Amino acid sequence: MPRSISRRSVLRGLGTAVALPLLDVMSPTRLLSAAAADTAAPIRMGFFFVPNGMHMPDWTPSNEGKGFDLKPTLARLADHKNDINVLTGLSLDGASAHGDGGGDHARAVAAFLTGAHPRKTNGADIQNGISVDQATAELVGQATRFGSLELGLEMSSQAGNCDSGYSCAYASNMSWRGPTNPVAKEVDPGAVFDRLFAGQTVKETRQAKSVREKYRKSILDFVLDDAKQLHRELPAVDQRKLDEYLYSVRDVEKRVAGADRLHISEDGVPDYPRPSGVPKEFSKHSELMMDMVTLAFQTDSTRILSFMFTNAGSNRSYPEVGISEGHHELSHHGKSEHKQEGIATINRFHMDRFNYLLSRMKQVREGDRTLLENCMLVYGSGISDGDRHNHDDLPILLAGAAGGRIETGRHIRYENGTPLCNLYTWMMQQMGAKVDKFGDSNGVLKL
Amino acid sequence: MRDRFCLSHWDRERLMQSRILAVLALVLASWLAGVKDSYADEFSREAAYRDRLLPLLRTYCFDCHSEDGAGEVTLDADDSAAKLQKNRKLWSRALGQVRLGTMPPADGDMMDATSRAVMIELIDELANSVDCVRNPNAGKVALRRLNRNEYRNTISDLTGVDYEQAEGFPGDDVGYGFDNIGDVLSLPPLLVEKYLDAAEFISGQAIYTPPPPQLYEIDRTAAKLINAEKYGSTSPLTLASAGTVSVEVDVPFAGDFVLTVTASGDQGGDEPCRMEVVSSKFKQVVDVPSKDAADYPIPMKLARGKRKIDISFINDFYVEGKIDRNLHIQHVNLKGEEKRLQFTAPEKLPASHKSILFVEPSKKVPVEQATQTVVARLASRAFRRPATKSEVERLCNLAAVVRKDGGSYEEGVQVALQAILVSPHFIYRVEQPPKTAPGEATQRVTQYELATRISYFLWSSMPDDELLLLAHRGELNDRKKLLEKVGRMMMDGRANQFVENFAGQWLQLRNLDNVKPDPTRFRGFDDSTRELMERETLTFFAGVMRKNMPVTALLDADFTYLNEDLAKYYGINGVTGEEFRPVSLTGTRRGGLLTHASVLTVTSNPSRTSPVKRGKWILENLLNTPPPPAPPNVPELEKGKLVGTLRERMEQHRANPACAACHSVMDQLGFAMENFDAVGRWRNNDGKEVIDASGELPDGSRFNGVDELKRLLSVERREQFVRCLAEKMLIYAIGRGTEYYDKCAIDKIMADTKSHDYKFAYLLAAIIESDPFQRIGHREESL
Repeated sequence: MPRSISRRSVLRGLGTAVALPLLDVMSPTRLLSAAAADTAAPIRMGFFFVPNGMHMPDWTPSNEGKGFDLKPTLARLADHKNDINVLTGLSLDGASAHGDGGGDHARAVAAFLTGAHPRKTNGADIQNGISVDQATAELVGQATRFGSLELGLEMSSQAGNCDSGYSCAYASNMSWRGPTNPVAKEVDPGAVFDRLFAGQTVKETRQAKSVREKYRKSILDFVLDDAKQLHRELPAVDQRKLDEYLYSVRDVEKRVAGADRLHISEDGVPDYPRPSGVPKEFSKHSELMMDMVTLAFQTDSTRILSFMFTNAGSNRSYPEVGISEGHHELSHHGKSEHKQEGIATINRFHMDRFNYLLSRMKQVREGDRTLLENCMLVYGSGISDGDRHNHDDLPILLAGAAGGRIETGRHIRYENGTPLCNLYTWMMQQMGAKVDKFGDSNGVLKL
Repeated sequence: MRDRFCLSHWDRERLMQSRILAVLALVLASWLAGVKDSYADEFSREAAYRDRLLPLLRTYCFDCHSEDGAGEVTLDADDSAAKLQKNRKLWSRALGQVRLGTMPPADGDMMDATSRAVMIELIDELANSVDCVRNPNAGKVALRRLNRNEYRNTISDLTGVDYEQAEGFPGDDVGYGFDNIGDVLSLPPLLVEKYLDAAEFISGQAIYTPPPPQLYEIDRTAAKLINAEKYGSTSPLTLASAGTVSVEVDVPFAGDFVLTVTASGDQGGDEPCRMEVVSSKFKQVVDVPSKDAADYPIPMKLARGKRKIDISFINDFYVEGKIDRNLHIQHVNLKGEEKRLQFTAPEKLPASHKSILFVEPSKKVPVEQATQTVVARLASRAFRRPATKSEVERLCNLAAVVRKDGGSYEEGVQVALQAILVSPHFIYRVEQPPKTAPGEATQRVTQYELATRISYFLWSSMPDDELLLLAHRGELNDRKKLLEKVGRMMMDGRANQFVENFAGQWLQLRNLDNVKPDPTRFRGFDDSTRELMERETLTFFAGVMRKNMPVTALLDADFTYLNEDLAKYYGINGVTGEEFRPVSLTGTRRGGLLTHASVLTVTSNPSRTSPVKRGKWILENLLNTPPPPAPPNVPELEKGKLVGTLRERMEQHRANPACAACHSVMDQLGFAMENFDAVGRWRNNDGKEVIDASGELPDGSRFNGVDELKRLLSVERREQFVRCLAEKMLIYAIGRGTEYYDKCAIDKIMADTKSHDYKFAYLLAAIIESDPFQRIGHREESL
């Protein structure tokens, strides 16, 4: 027997033998994450937005605390009742008119993660706040390849006015890196897959690269020089635009430099077929995207994520559940029973998609917990009743136990008007961000 | 993308080109100067303030908004039209509130709709009045990023590569109705990643280089070797007596390989541990002299195919209690690189390769010089201006590094091209900053910048060589040359991009994809119908443009473009074949945009028509008077109160005064189109009810049915319609929202267009000749 073995030999010998977390639902897959192997599993945060408010009678439980009753919309999460907390009474003051008139849908998206009151403009001088996901990523997002991911199921609007004089930038983006910088979302699951895993397996990094691929770093350096020089020559309004460019190039550069941080071994390529194209059916599309969410968290590619089911005021119909009328149109129900039932049907349909995600996450073990338990996933809307367009008493739930730091399975009622940002402040703290205020928070939510 | 709709009649109409051009140049030479402004002189402005606005302000505003009033804002200090104009910011805010209906507040005196309209008009005219003679601001567009369409078209014109994957770029957000607004086009990291991928792919497609050699590598831990089970399937594996383990490989290419065995030996006796490696005819004995694990590389040539490589322990030696020579194997690795082909037959090279690499290094032309020549041209076209010496130098340095690392000439240019395609000078349309101060005469943009503005306006792509040459010679200031070029560009197939991107967004055709008519109610409508509808309208718009018809023909033309399927859908006979062609609509109920199924469908609900949406569509897109959003907290209508036909129900709804102000216009306009169902088919009845398509506007104008509505818009409201179109087109052309100071420019565009019977080409020309398009001004602080 040899006395000692060179480091290289050890690595080789162990190459495929490191204990890899098993992704049961997609087995036989083995993934190796940079951090998860040796340290305690990290806590993740995610934000899931649905448009047009909620049919509230089907949402708000009638009693508080443990053992709350599940109204029809929340009943879709019956399997996970003990993994969620329903939070009633939270509000989004920034989404209110404050003298700006109509446009509640665009405002509700723009304010949902920022708590800010967006400036009413169709384009010139866009101004919003920084969103909780981006703020957190800025503070504690360095541990993963992607500080944050922005996902959704609907592309930006293609034409026309998005909402009463608000640029579509407000209606289509809920993640904002800075007051003037919306962060566009990816809607193609295949593209998300490529972003997460292309070139990341040991096998692929070993493959010969074309000359073109080898010089990415030099190219980024080159264009950074271009941009820096250009920056000096431009007026302020253009500099702001170029700042975005500089930030984005630097951000990508970090990832190119650190491309070897996520080592997925040769045998550990996610045994998940690369999704191709965007399925026509909403449910299939969302299923693939939810799988991407699970994979992104599970491989510790990111710990922060935002997810827009659709854009503000979406008027899509849902033939899959027999709804041929538009969602937004239905939400202005004027107390019509037929329309309210339509809204409730869409609410349940969306909730089923979220239920799918929770089930997936629950099947992933991380030490003695599940991935879901290590998460904080906010699900909800920036509008309460779509007919009244009110931004208080919002439908909000928090799934996951933040790594066991909170008790789940409760309905908690807060004083109506409590800023939603109080919840975000608490979440940021759980992520390790040293903050005591975010957006329009006036305290830290007690959970 | 460029061929989403194609004009089969295209070549025929090309013949008209020369005629139009001649007319353009000739008639446009007599340009109208100055425009009459109804409040142009100081006297009439002061009179308007004193006699008309002041009484309204006294009644509705000054109670609170005065020195001693309760309101925070004081309005009565500005007691003349001149002061109003000086204090424009404050008054614009006030104007916004009045427009929104948030002022006067609900607890004050109710302001009737007419007074509101008058107040809005007066504040707007007085506070936002601009002196068109004294250097009006030409405005400043924010640094514009290429949007998805522009990127794809530019790449195609620059490199010959159609980069379809650009469809997967994150959506470009819309502002002022269009997706090419500098302020709104952002650049998240996700997009930079996509630009990098794109640049790599595109440079690989445009410039051919042999693919990288294949690599082959396998790793086997000892326990996984064939026969390992004889020795306990452990890693490391101990061969205590002579024996063989093997690895089986399937080699994908012939070449030089290295087999690395990580091994160690228990030594003893007078020779070291020895192993023998055998594969077919290859045979080599390797000493393993160390008792610590070490790598033993064994070079070998292998042919393609499956083979077994045997590793044997060949010199076992054992003396009980004294000597035990054993071989330990930890790991086996086999690695090889394919020999790469360097030569490509010239006929296999893509056309783009030859046009980009128009100089090859040779004995006479050193590779540095060839690179310099090629890169300078490429960068200049990509940056839409001559590349600077230092830019070319830096790009050449990049290429030189590639060559120094063993890359070829072509690979060097590929990497330089990648850098060009990710550079801010390519991604953004960079323009020189304004050098004049606000209030001074604004400066013209440079010739190259003007060329770029024109080509992205008309083609959504980079200027062609001809346009760049005009810019280079400074000839774009020569109106005749400019207009001739504009005429040619309008007739060029690339102008279909203007049709798709401008008309597609102006008319909201792009939203058609999101409209999902209920298939149970509207049999006969499917995705292909949707596509045909869109194609009809785009082709029609292109037809009106290229025939240089008055823009009002968009509303009242007696022809359209159909193919057999769409003609059948409309119930029009005599059209056969898939191809779209011009079809006369004389004697039919159709003609003009308002009767296009695309427009009628995009303004309907999935289950029924929506007169409200149709009316709103007209107000927003044809008259530029978007209705304000519904006031919040509209008193809920009691359930069951609304009964009767759709019209009757809407009339009951309108009985509520909070709703009436806007709905009395929207609904009425929409009613005129009720003879078309939610997917644009003609109908006489809605269910059992006979359609009543009559309407009346608050100003007393009456109409019955779509024909009379068309006349109302294209004749009686012609000025307003053309002005609306001109303003939208200007926004699209200059990439920013219009501001109050653009009024002068729009007035002039209107006058120019009107003096040429509203013909399409003259509208395009007037926009291109306008100050906001030709010049660069400055930003005014937002309110």
